[in-house]
Amino acid sequence: MKRILPFIIILVVLGVALSSAWYLTRSIPAAQNPPGNPVPASPASSGSPGSPAQPQPPAPVTGVPGAEPAHTAGPANAPVKLEEFGDFECPPCGMFHPILKQMQEEFGDKLQVTFREFPLVPTHQHALAAASAAEAAGLQGKFWEMHHMIYDHQNDWKKEFDVRPIFEGYAKQLGVDVDRYKRDVDSEAVAQRIMLDGNRGHSLGVKGTPTVFINGREVPFENLPAEKLRVVIQNELRNAGK
Amino acid sequence: MKKFYIGAALLSLLGLADALYLTIEHVTGQTVRCTILSGCSEVLSSPYAVVAGIPLAAVGAAAYFTVFSLAILALFRYRIAGKILPPLVIAMFFVSVWLFYLQAFVIRQFCQYCLISAAITTCLLVLVLSLRWFSTDYTD
Repeated sequence: MKRILPFIIILVVLGVALSSAWYLTRSIPAAQNPPGNPVPASPASSGSPGSPAQPQPPAPVTGVPGAEPAHTAGPANAPVKLEEFGDFECPPCGMFHPILKQMQEEFGDKLQVTFREFPLVPTHQHALAAASAAEAAGLQGKFWEMHHMIYDHQNDWKKEFDVRPIFEGYAKQLGVDVDRYKRDVDSEAVAQRIMLDGNRGHSLGVKGTPTVFINGREVPFENLPAEKLRVVIQNELRNAGK
Repeated sequence: MKKFYIGAALLSLLGLADALYLTIEHVTGQTVRCTILSGCSEVLSSPYAVVAGIPLAAVGAAAYFTVFSLAILALFRYRIAGKILPPLVIAMFFVSVWLFYLQAFVIRQFCQYCLISAAITTCLLVLVLSLRWFSTDYTD
């Protein structure tokens, strides 16, 4: 018995480790959802008459208002409204940026995108400066241009010691009035917009970036790759009868 | 020497729990997202977090499980297990040093779970080296 006891102990630990891993993987709600469904429920329309009751989708969350006017792209009456909470220095946000552009090209007027600032300070040392740069450009009507520029060059500036001259260079390239930009970047108006977007994120339970809501329901992180996000948007369009 | 092996087994269990948690977070995409409190997103989304398609955290979990198994076998006087344990722990320590270097100087972000794992591996190394110094027969 003593000879086989260590093997029994090892097998028990292996069993506990594997079952814990299985349980934890299953207990993360986002991980269980198929790509078509925002968290946490499946579409009510998937239930057939007479079938057991399906869990209803949660009511869309509203939260406190963010900065107004919000940075939006796409028509206000679009059937699918996507709201992203992003941090310009966050690598997954940088990876999500081209995916979102692709979705905008594919779905055109059916998709409205809103970007909300959610700089993760102090994890990302330049996140606040990047958010301020985008907002300062936004005061001159160039938010999306600056937003694209900062994300497209994320790997160029994120490891620099001082990013402000780099962002000023981007502003200049975009035709922004640089003198005004320099004043605005440290202004109360810019700080206020970032704070209001952050407040909205916190009220919606945003803990990290990118966090994406579609028509008020959070999209699980693993559903953000293009092929899965496309299905989510298509399902929303189907639900809206478009 | 039993106390050393029991200590090594307990430490490796802690390491196993830590590595398993990181693996789950990695696989489900939870930690890959950037968060306020953690630099794990940068570390786990870096190219160094995956080896031949396998999350490095999963490789770590397998290594800790192997250390646990060897420590238990050595505790029950399987001499070969006691001989394999030190080189494995030394290898794990060097891998931890390399990963610490990557976090500090390449990725420039620290993931607390990776740091916990490095600390556990360092403790295991100290334990294994003590075992060598205090005993000529470390299966006894």
